[in-house]
Amino acid sequence: MKKLFRQNEIYVFFLIIALVIIITSFSRSFFTLENFFDLLKSHSYEGILAIGFFLVLLSGGIDLSFTAVAVIGMYTGVYVVLITGANNALLAIAVAGVVGIILGAINAVFIGIFKIPTMIATLGTLTAFHGTLMSILQATKKTVISNPPSSIIAFGKMILFRIPDGTGKFADFSLSSAIFIFFTVATWLLLKYTTIGRNIKAIGGNREAARRAGINILKTQFFIYCYVGFMAGIAGLLLGSYLRYIDPLNLVGNELTVVAAVVLGGASVMGGRGTIIGTVLGVSMITIINTSLVFMKIPQYFQQFVIGMIIVISVSITAYRQKLKERQTSVLDVV
Amino acid sequence: MIYKNKKVFSLLLITIAAFLLMTIAEPKIFFSLRNFQSMTVQIPEFGLLSLGMAICMLTGGIDLSIIATANLASIAAATILTKYAGENSGAGPTQIVIVIVIAILAAIVVGAACGFVNGLLVSKVGITPILATLGTQGLFGGLGIILTKGKGIIGFPELFLKIGTAHPGNIPLVFYIFIVIVLLLGLILSRTFFGFNIYMIGANPLAASFSGIKISNVLTKVYMTSGMLAGLASIIMISRVNSARSDFGYTLLLPTVLIAVLAGFNPNGGFGTLTGIVIALFLLQILQSGFNILGSSSFFKNVIWGVMLLLVMVINYIGDRYSKRVRKQLA
Repeated sequence: MKKLFRQNEIYVFFLIIALVIIITSFSRSFFTLENFFDLLKSHSYEGILAIGFFLVLLSGGIDLSFTAVAVIGMYTGVYVVLITGANNALLAIAVAGVVGIILGAINAVFIGIFKIPTMIATLGTLTAFHGTLMSILQATKKTVISNPPSSIIAFGKMILFRIPDGTGKFADFSLSSAIFIFFTVATWLLLKYTTIGRNIKAIGGNREAARRAGINILKTQFFIYCYVGFMAGIAGLLLGSYLRYIDPLNLVGNELTVVAAVVLGGASVMGGRGTIIGTVLGVSMITIINTSLVFMKIPQYFQQFVIGMIIVISVSITAYRQKLKERQTSVLDVV
Repeated sequence: MIYKNKKVFSLLLITIAAFLLMTIAEPKIFFSLRNFQSMTVQIPEFGLLSLGMAICMLTGGIDLSIIATANLASIAAATILTKYAGENSGAGPTQIVIVIVIAILAAIVVGAACGFVNGLLVSKVGITPILATLGTQGLFGGLGIILTKGKGIIGFPELFLKIGTAHPGNIPLVFYIFIVIVLLLGLILSRTFFGFNIYMIGANPLAASFSGIKISNVLTKVYMTSGMLAGLASIIMISRVNSARSDFGYTLLLPTVLIAVLAGFNPNGGFGTLTGIVIALFLLQILQSGFNILGSSSFFKNVIWGVMLLLVMVINYIGDRYSKRVRKQLA
């Protein structure tokens, strides 16, 4: 039981409970299944991006290019469906995923083969990827797709099941939410029960030790970045189908929100530490904070300040506790 | 003395090559006084921000909040300017000058205060700089939004706007300011204990702390310097666009990191020279102005930046491996 309280995630969980209670006291319509399913649906793409980012963070790296990959995946997926006339959402998903894998592989080449530090490499690919897309689009004068094919729209609206709440309204559980949950569980299983998952954690913990233990760093890195790319592409498509408007200027520039969510969930920027549950909690917290400000009728321009304050406070608490712990033990590292 | 290491020298060659290329591509427009003036006007505000980022990166850290700090500082200065020396304030010339000086000082002080908060979080509380400055970016930016309610502040006195538009000796005044700051910073980094300590902390924090350097003091001062540079940059910013907003310039954040890496800065800290920064700034400005003149879209310059960054890193990697192989053969 004591071990449970030592984990970071438990504090985030309590904070979320506290927030939910506060918000519900302001506005009863918050604590409804309908609202929760709605929040889940509209933020499912963010959740998937966070899971991908978390995986990279776990391996000791940082991938800042995921927004560009998502947007490119979104655009090419819908574009292919538009051009070929095949009104099939599955085609869009497949294309988005493949594009994501390819872009992720490019990242892996720079990070794994040329040994460029991950933040720098993904900064470069972020600007290069997004710039390439926008340059090509601007040359054709068509920068947005405002009428996506009907299959994409239907995909965005698809509901898996509904739960009636007795007053004639329904709580709709959408396909996007299911996809998010699927990826979350899949990644959790990957990390817990497969060799590659354990390799990822090992690399993040101590890369040199992992190399000496025989882990193939290059292969693992290729896997990680292709996996992240794949998820980013799918997430982009989810966003596009939800908004019913394909705008490649979306998302890019908001990378830090996802980073904040993952970090709030207890993942360490150094790598090797963090849990899927923590990431999910972090995303939930950011989502709840964002929407709760609306419910509490706090003017929107307070939002950024409040989120910044929460990040600073929660990260301070984590870091300070870490510092106190480190004062008790001395760390000798093999460089 | 700051020596020209291999990376900076190759960067210089690339810059010269880019300059020649652009001149050949559009000789009349590129190689003109007007273009040079336009380039040297755009460099300072971005350059000061890049300097601030670079100093933080020397210690192995980063300052993601630098744009938000600049915006906050600009809001402070703008409020003072419009309230006490604006168009409707009926202030006399002497009062205007005094208010301008106070406004500039206010921007620098606000920048220093923001930097102080960053320094505290990084050194005393022990948060990694990426996270600390991520949080403070939201904090400062949010504060700016709250103060301005999303609107811009306009109505600066004429004299203040002259800062951005004056061209003594055909060179923009802001460029002189920039050069002075670069020289000052360069002196500090190369000739003072403070500068020396910065490099030491970046190269090996453990050894630095054991050799008596007070890491928390130095780090706090570093982030305060970055904040003050942001404050100065904000003055240049608002004197050129004649308004202060809370959301201005966020697209400049990642390029400042690009500049530092192009200049040969090690993201883990400890290595990097200001000469490299200045050369990298010129390179990027040459490319940007050149491509603008050639009529390519503004997103294309992003592609060039990204590709250039990756190219430079790959070349550095190959160069490092080649020199290691040569060294092995000689040993």
